[in-house]
Amino acid sequence: MSPEQSRRSPGSGARALEGVRVVDLSWVRAGPWGTRILGTLGAEVIKVEWPAHGSVHHNDRYTNTGRPEHIEPNLNNSHWFSEKNVNKRSVTLNLRNPRGRELLKRLIAVSDVVIENFTSRVMQRWELGYEQLREIKPDIIYVSLSALGHTGRDHPFRTYGPSAQALSGMTFLSGLPGEPPAGWGWSYLDDTGGIYGAIAVMTALHHRHMTGRGQHVDLSQVGSGIALSGAAILDATVNGRAMRREGFPPGNRTHWPGTPLLDNYRGPMVAPHNAYRTAPGGYNDWCAIVCRDDEQWRALIGVMGDPEWARAPRFAENDSRIEHQEELDRQIEAWTQGLEKYELAERCQAAGVPAMPVQSNEDRVRRDPQLRHREMFTELPHAGLGPMGYQNLPFRGSAIETSSRRAAPLIGEHNREVLCGLLGLSEQELGEGYRDDSIWPENLPVEPYLEAEAAAGSGASS
Amino acid sequence: MRPGGPLADLRMVELAGEQGQWCGRLLADLGADVVKVEPPGGAPERRVGPWYRDEPHPDRSLSFWHYNSGKRAITVDIESAEGAAVLRRLVAGADVFLEARPPGRLAALGLGPDELRGADPRLIYCSLTPFGQDGPWRDFQTTDLVQLAAGGQMAQCGYDEEDDPDAPPIAPGGGNAWHIGCHFALVAISAAIVYRDMSGEGQHLDVSIHEACSLTTESAIPTYFSTGRVVRRQTGRHSAWSMPRPRTQYLCKDGTYINAMFNQRISPERVRIFAEWMDEYGAADDLLDERYRDAQVVEESQEHIADVLHAFFPQITAEEACRGAQERGLPWGAVRSVDEILADPHWEDRGYWVDVEHPELDDSFRYPGIWGLYSDSPLAITRRAPLVGEHTAEVLAEIGLDAGEIESLREGGAI
Repeated sequence: MSPEQSRRSPGSGARALEGVRVVDLSWVRAGPWGTRILGTLGAEVIKVEWPAHGSVHHNDRYTNTGRPEHIEPNLNNSHWFSEKNVNKRSVTLNLRNPRGRELLKRLIAVSDVVIENFTSRVMQRWELGYEQLREIKPDIIYVSLSALGHTGRDHPFRTYGPSAQALSGMTFLSGLPGEPPAGWGWSYLDDTGGIYGAIAVMTALHHRHMTGRGQHVDLSQVGSGIALSGAAILDATVNGRAMRREGFPPGNRTHWPGTPLLDNYRGPMVAPHNAYRTAPGGYNDWCAIVCRDDEQWRALIGVMGDPEWARAPRFAENDSRIEHQEELDRQIEAWTQGLEKYELAERCQAAGVPAMPVQSNEDRVRRDPQLRHREMFTELPHAGLGPMGYQNLPFRGSAIETSSRRAAPLIGEHNREVLCGLLGLSEQELGEGYRDDSIWPENLPVEPYLEAEAAAGSGASS
Repeated sequence: MRPGGPLADLRMVELAGEQGQWCGRLLADLGADVVKVEPPGGAPERRVGPWYRDEPHPDRSLSFWHYNSGKRAITVDIESAEGAAVLRRLVAGADVFLEARPPGRLAALGLGPDELRGADPRLIYCSLTPFGQDGPWRDFQTTDLVQLAAGGQMAQCGYDEEDDPDAPPIAPGGGNAWHIGCHFALVAISAAIVYRDMSGEGQHLDVSIHEACSLTTESAIPTYFSTGRVVRRQTGRHSAWSMPRPRTQYLCKDGTYINAMFNQRISPERVRIFAEWMDEYGAADDLLDERYRDAQVVEESQEHIADVLHAFFPQITAEEACRGAQERGLPWGAVRSVDEILADPHWEDRGYWVDVEHPELDDSFRYPGIWGLYSDSPLAITRRAPLVGEHTAEVLAEIGLDAGEIESLREGGAI
């Protein structure tokens, strides 16, 4: 392996999306997650925000998830916000104010991409639908990321990640038979929706390179989620099989004992296929073990020290192991409970048996030797938070960098750079925007680092 | 250029298996000409159910159909010198090569990134593997389930301890570790395509499914970085380290569930909206009381509000709950299964389903789905998944092999 592949950066400093300017109107999770990917790949992402009390962007910056309890919240100290907005610039514009909207249009006129994740008719109400965007910039790439898309009878639906997951069938896939759905312990479809947003932008950029034409890509988070149940959908459309049935979903197994022997859409039907308790019995002391075939099962018997129970004929073959899973899993767990999860996984792996510890967030940061070796995390400074850990992209390129390089922008941090430097506003015009409610809310104190530009042309500064 | 999706000018070779086939499928949806390379007899992912009419057969796996529609397929024994030469020629005519073999395996056959990129510096060579090309876990064996364990998904999904004290961490089904890995492989490939458009340079991409899964856990990692706390599993809602959030999933009259999430910042206005709705059923309890006009009171009453909702929803079905909420601007959704999704006319309106012809069965079947509406380069499922070796002769002829060469490869067992 060449040395360049052993690091997350090839050393050239090249970024895949250098020179691509993105106007980012998105908020909460799905949209920002997509533009985070674009920013890390080198796009110039300009996040347009409005920090008035009660507005979505104000609330978004106050997201309390993960803020240490002793810290008084402000617009610039949510790590949760910072982590999902790395590698972006921040500009404050009031899109309900004609002058704010005019500045946005000037920004779009010099940009490549507009991306947003509002409900389906918000942009039209602001007279910023695709037809209007095209008038401003004929080859603009416009990506909308809404719950059910911009077409179809239910397009006005609004969702959070969890309700989008519910509507997509994703929630129903998760859980134990006969119990309520366990669902997903995070907004899986916000992350996934954001990823599709980034893919839409990049594939549309390629199309523009080839044809010179922009386009509107109308994405639906729920639609992206539905396609992840393709095998189950074909089981319904081809075989007429209902998904609401006894034994589905089958927990962590491929099949739940005592229920009809049907495929449950999680790969080859095998046993063992489960999570097992490990020592010392803490909340996340579990290890997943799978034997994909009889050979791996025999290897696992060896790892377990060749216990007599495992040699019973009813466990010799996969079909019979599936049928006797209750006993099989109980016996395996009696063994796993004596071992620590990393040691257990290593022993299984040494014998060629797929097994990995259930890793918490702490485990992945502190104990996972692979993520550390691969430099998945990076520490970045931030004026409001101090140095903090951030995640990188989950791949390396031999020609491009894939690491996060800048924590989230402070609110309005790039107002002067973008509005004066890029759009050509005078210092005086910029200062006026702080007083006429187009660049900064009237009722909100100006952040200290913006005071000088806010005072320009007011007389106070002369 | 062929008409079609945004990548209609690109050719791709896929040597990927169950962990990478979804990436190839998405590239085919996007218009790329995707050729799937399988060993003689067909790829192992053809042996995964469910099956057409429940009869196992390498050309009748519904899982294979879904993940491989739009592709062509050839069978080549790449372990043989002749087969490796065929793959080398095939990749020489391609823009993107997606491979998911264990690290180092292809290099040992003379098909590694250095060799193939040396022959064509414009080639985008994407390696998608469980843990990446290096590191202490590089050679570990995985499955979808064990990736979800290591990646953090399982530690976040499951049940409140009071609901089920014995419940294990839960890995949601459906093959989502593979989906997550494929989504980021597609991000990497898309980025490399744009980079190549500008620079003329291809590259080697080293995508780790483990890193992709770990990144796809929303607030878990940032929570640890900023607070040092471990998140805990909660039934049907976000894992969290803070006080248990009120439940969000409620049983309805038809025995199915509604996801009705609200958080501590829910406005008094919103509480009034759903209280008036519940009042139509005599189920508003005290929520129309004046004191719930106060945001502080609402925030302190979350548990009580959840209790009132818990008592209300069994009066209506989950679909009624979903529509009633959406009509009132509440972002709630029914916990649908595939059964209800297929019956929902919204997706038909949107042209989401594609009826794919299966001439070998003289029938056509409904597939998902057009996941994005590209106004100038529409996505499509252009054909059903290939039969074993269906396009071997056609593709080999395209890369310049004559009939005699193809016949001698066939006799030698390389194809």
